[in-house]
Amino acid sequence: MATELSATPAVEAPGVPRETRLELHRCMVLQRLVEERIMALYRQGKIAGSVYTGYMQEAVGAGTGLALAPGDVVAPLNREQACHYARGLSPADVFRNFLGKANGPTFGRDGNMHFGFPAKGVFPLVSMLGNLVPVTVGAALAFKRRGEPRVALTYFGDGASSVGDVHEGLNLAAVWQVPAVFVVQSNQYAYSTPTHRQMANTNLSERLAGGWSIPCVRVDGTDALEVYEAATAAVERARAGEGPQALEAVSLRGHGHAAHDGATYVPAELRERFGDPIERLEARLRLDGLGEDELAGLREGAASEMAAGLAEAEASPDPDPATLEEGVYATPL
Amino acid sequence: MSTMHLYSEAPEGEVPSGSITFLEAITQALRDAMREDDHVFLLGEDIGYFGGAFGVTKGLWEEFGDARVLDTPIVEEGFVGAAFGAAWMGERPVVELQFADFITCPFDQIVTVGAKTHWRSGIALPVVIRAPFGGGVRGGPFHASCPEPWFVGVAGLKVVCPGSVADAYGLLRSAIEDDDPVLFFEHKALYRRLRGEPPPSSYRVPLGRADVVRAGTDATIVTYAAGVDLALRAAEGLDVEVLDLRTVWPFDAAAVLESVAKTSRLLVLQEPSGSTGVAGHVLSLVGREAFESLDAPPALVSPPSTPVPFAPALEDAYQPSVERVRAALEELLGY
Repeated sequence: MATELSATPAVEAPGVPRETRLELHRCMVLQRLVEERIMALYRQGKIAGSVYTGYMQEAVGAGTGLALAPGDVVAPLNREQACHYARGLSPADVFRNFLGKANGPTFGRDGNMHFGFPAKGVFPLVSMLGNLVPVTVGAALAFKRRGEPRVALTYFGDGASSVGDVHEGLNLAAVWQVPAVFVVQSNQYAYSTPTHRQMANTNLSERLAGGWSIPCVRVDGTDALEVYEAATAAVERARAGEGPQALEAVSLRGHGHAAHDGATYVPAELRERFGDPIERLEARLRLDGLGEDELAGLREGAASEMAAGLAEAEASPDPDPATLEEGVYATPL
Repeated sequence: MSTMHLYSEAPEGEVPSGSITFLEAITQALRDAMREDDHVFLLGEDIGYFGGAFGVTKGLWEEFGDARVLDTPIVEEGFVGAAFGAAWMGERPVVELQFADFITCPFDQIVTVGAKTHWRSGIALPVVIRAPFGGGVRGGPFHASCPEPWFVGVAGLKVVCPGSVADAYGLLRSAIEDDDPVLFFEHKALYRRLRGEPPPSSYRVPLGRADVVRAGTDATIVTYAAGVDLALRAAEGLDVEVLDLRTVWPFDAAAVLESVAKTSRLLVLQEPSGSTGVAGHVLSLVGREAFESLDAPPALVSPPSTPVPFAPALEDAYQPSVERVRAALEELLGY
């Protein structure tokens, strides 16, 4: 799974059209640039609380997010900011949440990556890992009950795979044969604890297929095109009524668990085994015939989108404390 | 009482009149809600062919089939979470926990996903979680608890505990139509003891509203669920008002204050121990808002702060009784 060189091109994937390749690139670069800026703002004291990134895992959120149709729903977590861009959110939406703005997706009531976007079929992240696996299964159950050709997708890491909710949700998905897709982020660490100290069998795709009877394809999580192709196939199998599907994306978490964590526990030799997903996609785009000017143009386009989003978010109003108690209930008594 | 069993088919001793039981009112509410709205479906353990541990869903699987009466594996966290996911997609799932004690298992889903989602995203989660609770049935520490105090005070949750046949029907219909997560606790001792007439299918009882089940002038008993029947029996021959909270969170503060303003004496009766629960909220409210209208210190009748014991001698000593409520009432009236 690991690549020898960071510039090893992503797979050829001749079936993936040019516009999709460019959109994968856009979503991934946006995640990279927005996260870089967020880390800087956090260190400057301009973002409070905590900051989680998906540095070096951008291919997973982008490749799986773009595999979904507009009517599908998704519950992304901390490492999948690119999935939000794939669903149509803007950098301004993301910055607004990190800055706690009144017009952000959680109205300033929650921070960092803890947001969803109902209008785009995105459920808000909760910190209790594994909770969203049963929730996603329930959304898929609704689709199955109504005979709608829609799919629900969520993510969990090697860390969350130890949580009871994940087992309960996967088991229900398999028993009910609902159109759910699970993306396993095997990023080698649960906070500071390496995978081999979390589970005896670290091959999660083997466990999904053998333990829960959910077909699982293992892919290189640093290869956006491989992720996209496998995710598209999984989503379409689920949509076609073949029951729950899974994808194990093997990568390495590039930063610590959160911004305060320097991840000194990750050995340098392990880092050398994983390439940079953006460099890998760009190496493929060069082989596709994109020139340096065009690549620079793509990066500049994303940088302007990021900068405009930040400016828009910074100009947004802070929440009014008088509104704090609004919306606790959908129907107040 | 001493030979009563957990799953008793019929109450011992006197059988009150009325053509349906408390349990049958709940079954009827589920059936009517399912007939009127395709989005309503049921999830739980052994609720299909078997009809549920207490028989509440008997006949529903036969009428509505596998697609709307779903037997689940033993995965409370899983199927409560799945109910929230289905509700996100516009369904109105009604979940059955076999015993309310088992609500410890899906606690995380309820307080994390259920309670906080609307406030921080605007996504409504209309889920009803039905749970048979309460003691007096020799259930012991794991089959007779009153877990509603754990959810009293939680922003985003509604907690309902009916105490009459009509309320069991009307509150459940309202809970299913409500857009928030509702915990609906059904007292096991009432399932076959209370009888009444079946309400029409249009009957609704609003959530969040208490009910004066017996008017009086000398004291107010604030209670709910099985406490209502107990309070009525303890108050026989006295001019005492019995206020059934019905919804214990958020509870009807205005009704409590109105009654206390009239009677000037307050007794709170609850089945959970006095160290937890809605009693503290009611007493705090009255202390803050109605102190000057009180003619006596408020009284509290509730079990000691222990798990529910099994042995009949212990459980009878633990549970609030007519005698204990009557004694507390007489002390309150004599102050």
